[in-house]
Amino acid sequence: MIRLEKVSYSYPDGTPALENINLTIKKGEFVGVIGKNGSGKSTLALQLSGLLKPGTGRVVIRGMDTRDPSRLQGIRKFVGVVFQNPETQFVGRTVEEDLAFGPENLCLPPVEIRRCVDMALAETELEKYRHRSPKTLSGGQGQCAALAGILAMRPECLIFDEVASMLDPESGIAVLETIKKLHKKGKTIVYITHNLEELHDADRILVMEKGKIKIEGDPESVFSDVFLQDLGLPLPSLIELAANLKTHGVIIPWESTTSPQNFAEEICRLFLRT
Amino acid sequence: MKEPVFSYVPGTSLLHRFDPRIKIAAVMLLGILTFRIENFEGIAALFAFFFALASLSGLPMKMFFRAIKPMMLFITFIFLAQLLFTDGKVLVSYWILQPSLEGLETGLKLAARFILLLLFAALLTASTNPSAITCGIERMLRPLPLRWLGITSFELATMMNISIAFLPLLFERVERTKAAQAARGMDFVKNPFRSVPALAIPLLRGVIRDAEELALAMESRGYQGSRRTSMHELSIQKNDWKALFVLAVFFIFVLFL
Repeated sequence: MIRLEKVSYSYPDGTPALENINLTIKKGEFVGVIGKNGSGKSTLALQLSGLLKPGTGRVVIRGMDTRDPSRLQGIRKFVGVVFQNPETQFVGRTVEEDLAFGPENLCLPPVEIRRCVDMALAETELEKYRHRSPKTLSGGQGQCAALAGILAMRPECLIFDEVASMLDPESGIAVLETIKKLHKKGKTIVYITHNLEELHDADRILVMEKGKIKIEGDPESVFSDVFLQDLGLPLPSLIELAANLKTHGVIIPWESTTSPQNFAEEICRLFLRT
Repeated sequence: MKEPVFSYVPGTSLLHRFDPRIKIAAVMLLGILTFRIENFEGIAALFAFFFALASLSGLPMKMFFRAIKPMMLFITFIFLAQLLFTDGKVLVSYWILQPSLEGLETGLKLAARFILLLLFAALLTASTNPSAITCGIERMLRPLPLRWLGITSFELATMMNISIAFLPLLFERVERTKAAQAARGMDFVKNPFRSVPALAIPLLRGVIRDAEELALAMESRGYQGSRRTSMHELSIQKNDWKALFVLAVFFIFVLFL
């Protein structure tokens, strides 16, 4: 679906941002990307969406090379990016107007644009805010409106670049739940974050450092990788607790680390057994 | 949260249903008329016309008056300047101030003209979806040879739309920067000259960063600056022609008053 072949990229001042990245993202996958500031996560997001052309190597999105300018509009239809700050993503003066911006750029007819806007509003449960200024929405609603702006273009793949980092925990969870629902409906998701806790349900996690993918695998194998702690990325509290218990001979299955309730139930079950 | 002035209020009134191009043209014509008429009868007729249109829109009157409120200081200043500094028959003499009858007349007319302009503009923005206004302007500009200037009507309309949409964000950034600098000891009252770079440099940096982020977001949503369609299907109906006819009759009537 999206393929990066030996992609390298340096900033205009010569600082390398990505080095020799080989990556394939399959249809319907939920890929989590984590790393410290300056590790190249956001540059990777821009490469995956065709917003940045690779310095060397190539990025192929559904058979379209991102260096080919004639394919850019096709790429935009296929991949959408939601950025960190919702405020700098709003173009319209009302939510409805903002959502129409993408379909208008795709030169869809008015009836089709309205259909896309209605669908995106329903999917993000923002119907009642249709005529409100996006600037008057709360942080979580604003990020959902930014997501709706991308959904209105009906992309198959969605890239989220630290979308929850400016939100309060409750709004962050709500946005993540909306993203998980979209994944269940078949969308391909690339979710970039600083918070490993958000990637528990990912199909695959990429850990980045200095423009390279250092660790790659399913959450269970990535979370147990000792190198993760060397990178200074704190483990989710339940995973850390499970790891500590393991050193004392208490084995907590991976499935029980998804929530505090499941974890508590597993502990109780173990106690009752002994 | 209170909606900002000049904001759109959704509705289904006759005024809401008119084609935005007709409404924009009407506001332009009424603006010209406002500054063409010289007598109070004409001004009264324009106010009557506004109230007729406003009641037709079904929108509360107070929201139109909210549009005048921020400009009241400016309007009062213009009125007083005319009243006090226009030569003519002196009404009353106090110190160096000698308000004249002609000054009172000119001041009232000028103040009324500004109020009328604001009211008609508020009527347009309250009864027309902002993107419909942009779309209307774009369609009106399309026949012009803008390509010679290296710009398209689509780019012009998008630029206008974004400038208006980003104004609140810019004001918010000014306030945030001011608060951040004040927290670090900057006294904007005591040191007005030192405070300019302290405010301007981080503000400029922030605005450029916002602009870069916006450009990326727009690009990811397929914006290319070239042709685009609009959610608003513009077509001039029978009612629009009727409205234009009524406006033309009113225009001639006021000119002959």
